[in-house]
This record gives sequence, C-alpha cells and structure tokens, in this order.
Amino acid sequence: MDLLFFKIAIVLYLGASLGYLIFLIISSGAQPWIGFWCAVGGFAAHSLSILHRAIFSGFVPLATPFDAVSFFSWITVGLFLMIRYRDPSPIFGSIVTPLAASLLLYASTLSYQIREPIVPILKTWWLPIHVVLAIAGNAIFALMATGGLMYIVQERLIKTKRIGRLHHLLPSLETLDTLNRHGLPFGFFLLTIGIISGALWAGSVWGFYWSWDPKETWSLITWLAYAVMVHQRVVLGWRGRRAAVLAILGFGLVMFTFVGVSALLGGHHAFDNRPRFMGPLGL
Amino acid sequence: MSLHVMVVGLNHMTAPVEIREQVTFARDNDGSITRSLLRLDGVEEVIVLSTCNRAEVIVMTVDLETAADRILGVVGEAHGLDEARRREFFYVKPDADAVRHVFRVTASLDSMVLGEPQILGQVKDSYRHSSLLNATGPVLNRLMHRAFFTAKRVRNETGVGKAAISVAYVAVELARKILGDLTDKRVLLVGAGEMAELAARHLMSQVSRPVTILNRTYDTACALAVQLCGAAIPMEELDVGLAEADVVITSTGSREPIIQPDRMRVAMRRRRNRPVFVIDIAMPRDVDPQVNDIDGVYLYNIDDLQSVAQENLGERRQEAIRAEKIVNEEVAKFMAWTKSLDAAPTIVALKDKLEEIRIRELARLNGKLSGLSPEERETVEAITRSIINKIAHDPITFLRRSGISPKRNVYLDVAQKIFRLNGGLPEEFSRHGIETEEE
Repeated sequence: MDLLFFKIAIVLYLGASLGYLIFLIISSGAQPWIGFWCAVGGFAAHSLSILHRAIFSGFVPLATPFDAVSFFSWITVGLFLMIRYRDPSPIFGSIVTPLAASLLLYASTLSYQIREPIVPILKTWWLPIHVVLAIAGNAIFALMATGGLMYIVQERLIKTKRIGRLHHLLPSLETLDTLNRHGLPFGFFLLTIGIISGALWAGSVWGFYWSWDPKETWSLITWLAYAVMVHQRVVLGWRGRRAAVLAILGFGLVMFTFVGVSALLGGHHAFDNRPRFMGPLGL
Repeated sequence: MSLHVMVVGLNHMTAPVEIREQVTFARDNDGSITRSLLRLDGVEEVIVLSTCNRAEVIVMTVDLETAADRILGVVGEAHGLDEARRREFFYVKPDADAVRHVFRVTASLDSMVLGEPQILGQVKDSYRHSSLLNATGPVLNRLMHRAFFTAKRVRNETGVGKAAISVAYVAVELARKILGDLTDKRVLLVGAGEMAELAARHLMSQVSRPVTILNRTYDTACALAVQLCGAAIPMEELDVGLAEADVVITSTGSREPIIQPDRMRVAMRRRRNRPVFVIDIAMPRDVDPQVNDIDGVYLYNIDDLQSVAQENLGERRQEAIRAEKIVNEEVAKFMAWTKSLDAAPTIVALKDKLEEIRIRELARLNGKLSGLSPEERETVEAITRSIINKIAHDPITFLRRSGISPKRNVYLDVAQKIFRLNGGLPEEFSRHGIETEEE
C-alpha cells in the first residue's frame, strides 16, 4: 500500500512508452494520444506518490536513494510535459517516457525505508535546497541529451538525404538546438549552485566544505565538462551537432555521478557504508 | 421504390482534358442545371460538383434503372455532348459504389494529386450551392456530412496529405526542418535566372525579409530585385552574401562550381556556424558536392529534391491504403443507415398481410359463394382486391414519404405494431381470424 501510487506511476509510464512505441511503428498521421495521456496520468500518480512520501516521512521526501531517483524522474517528466506545448512532436515522449519508467524501475530496487530516527543532518532545509537544485539540473541535462540524440539522427537523415517517416517525425534541427541553447545555462546554473549548496551544507555540518569525497570529485568533473560546453557554445560558437554530442557525453557523466558513484565508489553520499558520514544522495 | 444514392460523372481518369473543359457546369451558377435535374422523374436530391479535374452529379433517386439516362441527357444537353460521348466518358455508380466514390473524392483519394487539400473546400462549396437551391434533402445532407467527417478522419489518422510532393514544397519543408520558423530567415539568390525566380517565389511567401539577389550582370540582378521586392548585390559580394543568408539558391550558368568547400568553410566561420540550406538548381552544378560535408551546411540539388518528392509520393500512396480502410468503414456505416431508412420491407409485409387476409376470408366463405358463376366469382375477387388496395393506399403512401423524415423509425415501428407485421405469426392469425388485436 505504501507504494501504491508509485506502482501506478510505473505502470502508466510503461503504458506511455508502449503507446509511443506503437505510434512510432504503425501510425504516422495521428497524434499519439495514448502515450501522452498515459504520461500525464503517470505524472499525476507520481506526484501523489511523492506527496504521500512527504506526509509519510514528515519532511521533504528526498532522504533516501529511492526518493532521489524518483524525484529525478518526476522532474524530467514534468519538464517534458512543459516543453511539449512548445514543440508537440511526439517523438520526444518516446524517449522520455521509457527513461522515466526505467528510472522508476531502478528506484524500486533501492531502499525506501526511512531510518528511525532520521539522521539529524537530513532534518535541515539544506536537504531540499541541495537535492532539488542538483536533481533539477540533472533533469535538464537529461532532456538536453534526449534532444541531442534526436539532433544527431535528424542531422544524419538530412545530410544523407533520407527524407522518410522518421525525418518527418523528428523536430527541426533549429528546435533541437534551441533546446540545447536554453537548457545549457539553466542546467549549468543549477549544477553550480547545487554544488555550492552542498559545500555550504557540509561546512555547516562538518566544518569543512570540500573533502574530495568520490561524489564531490565526480560532480566537479561533471561541472568542468559543462563549463567547457558553455565555453565552446558561447565563445567558439559551437552549436548543432557538436553541441548535441557534448550534451550526450555530459549526460553520461551526470548519470555516472548520480547513480554510479554511490554504488561503485562509496563516499559520504552513500547510505550503505560508513554510517558516521551518512549523507544525502544527490550530487 | 427504395432510396438510392447515385453518382454520374467524369474525371481526369475517364475523360481527356478537352472533354473536362467542356463539362464544367458553368451555367449552373444560377442553379438552372441543378433545377432541371431536380425536375427529373425519380430524382429527389441533387448536388452538382465541378472542379478542374472532375464534373459530377450526385443524386438521391428512387429509380435506379432509368434515372442515370435522364441525368446524362440533361448534362449532355447542357454541354453539347452527343449520346456516344456521354456513354464513352461518363461513369455511373449506384449505392455503395456511389457513397464510396463521394467519400474518396472528398478525402482526396481520387484526386490527380493524391491528398491535395483543395478538393475538400470545392466539395463544400458545391454542397453549399446545392443546399441554397434547396436541392438537397435528408439523404444527401447526411451523405455530405459523413463525407466531410471521413475526410477529417483520413486527414487526422493518416499521412495522405502530409509529405510534400512538389519540388518547391519539398524545399520549403526541408528549410523548415533545418532552420525552424522561416519568417526571419534570409534568402540569397545566386544567379537571376527564371529557374531561381520560380524556386524562390514559393520560399519567399514564407519569409518576411527581402530576398538578396546576386548576379554576374548586376543590371539583371537589379531587375529581378525590383520584381521580387528584394535587394541586388554585385557578384564580388558573394562571400558577404553567404555569411548572411540562411537559404542559398544557386542557378548561374557558370561552367565551374562557384561555391567550393574552402569558400563555404570561411563563410561558416563568419556566420558562427549558423546552419545554411543550399539549393543548387544549376546545371552544371554551381556548388561543389563536398560542401555538403561541412558541418552545418545542407546541400540539395534539384535531383535530390525531386527524389524526395518522389519518395514522399510513395509514402502518400502507402498512407492511402490506410485511408481506404477508413473509407470502407464509413461506407458500411452509411449503407446501414440507408437500410434503416428503407420503408420497403414494411410496405411489402403490409401488402402481403392484407392479401393473405383476403384470400383466407374468401376461402372461409367458399361454401356460401359456391353458387356464383365464374364471372360473379371474378367480380368478388376484383371487389375484395380493390377494397384492400384502397385501405392500403394511404398508409403505404404515408410510409413511403416518411421514409426520409426524422421520425421515420417511429412511423415504421408504429405501422408494424398496428398491423402486427413483426411478431404476427401465421398460427396466431388463424386462431383469431381477421380480428388482429392491438397491443
């Protein structure tokens, strides 16, 4: 019962993925309303699930890996539903909804038990500030990578003059590059203050701001990667295909930092070892 | 005596252009042809449809066999076609074929250019014209509304009208896929030939900025610039033009390519890698094919555009198969509706029943009538027949007329109940004699 809404959300996201898949395979003219409404329903159930977790834990529901991954997926779908009104091309959904579904499936393998009593360092407003900023940044990077992937495919199709159904389904290069152009500063800004807020939080709890914990190190590497991206875009005028490739590579780093580091390298963002350093998951 | 939809007409597949030019229903502007069709025996509703590729009469008739000839007569007379030519070029489609034809025409599946969007508007205009003349009734009204609905379904559920199939549209569509919204984009014409002008005109309707024209002879460029409300620049300014333009159309008579990869690379640096769509319609080519390998440059020549158009046409044909399925569904629905309209089975059942009663009553009284001579006997037969015909006449006329009124189902239902046409089993009649009970 405690994860009922969460399970509904998984089912609906899977339904949406299937709906979009069917749309891609058979239909070409009709709007993929099944996928879209499943995604909307999934997002609603997902929102209820997060609300339920908040009531259940009595605080911002971000203190477990389960909640962090779930929240990441939630923001990504939310952003997708928002930009859908700017660019109604349905193919976006066929990438975002499977991503959301697989993130939730991954989350369901993670621990969602909130340890009692909650570690004091998690009972602070630094938690939502740090985690929400970092995860919102990740969600923007996820959409940028999605757009980047579509850009590369669309660009290839136009260059090689294969103007078929896929070409018609994909948004214009301009639209996809605009996504990259607008997403980059937002994402980079959120990542930056996400890292700074983490450092300030660490400073307020432990007295030192930076301890080269693996998550911190990889966050810094990710930050540098996106800083390079901003530089190439603003100073050298990189755009289009190169910007798309960078967005995909950058998101690879983001995902590694987000889910890979805790699992593989430990550190005080991880929950399972070194209980003394029990800290929030997130970047 | 049941209702039939029928189409009599010709189109680009059955008649050559001279005939199509001749049969235009041009004189129907005042409704005279529609009215004379409506006056024909057995023709109850008329729509006259005329486009550049077809001339058709859609009617609702109660007399399928002879109405076609009479309609052909009127149409032929109006356009001066003799009997033989009428037979040669016109098709006559009855019932489901006619309905399917109307649906296919409206959904642009029967068009010369498959999926072209104008036909829907033309059909709508014709329908409006006919209904203003009071020439349409319940059947054709419903037929046309179902046709519009079918066309809408085809448009929404298939890609029949989607992909561009003319070179000019393909170019505009590609430009949109590369550059997004075109209103604030810059177009550069290299070469002021007629071809360039043709190619540019369509693109220019999408672009609000003035087009820039560049030509070896500056005066020609200026002349075209005046025509297109654009600006002319001399050939030496090509590099500046390339750095600024988002769409470049080349059509010079140069023997050597005038845009080489190096030149384009420099231009791309100057334009900070903003993408550019280059359309080369010159022969021999004005743009080195290797230019296409430069990041952000999308080069299409006229053959490329043509093959895209060809491929898109194939795609439309694929989609048309799906559209035919939708049409078939809608035809089946419409035919089911016309069947429900049909008063004929009820009328037949009523006549049969009355005749049965007459024969049974005569048989019952056979003993008392045995003294009659054959002539007298014949008179009795005639009298009884005449009585039931007189009784039946008004109800039958009423049912026939009510066949197309909105309350027809109620009327048919009541008639069947009053005369016990539905549940009235033969045994029941024999038990109760002629005193059929009312429920």
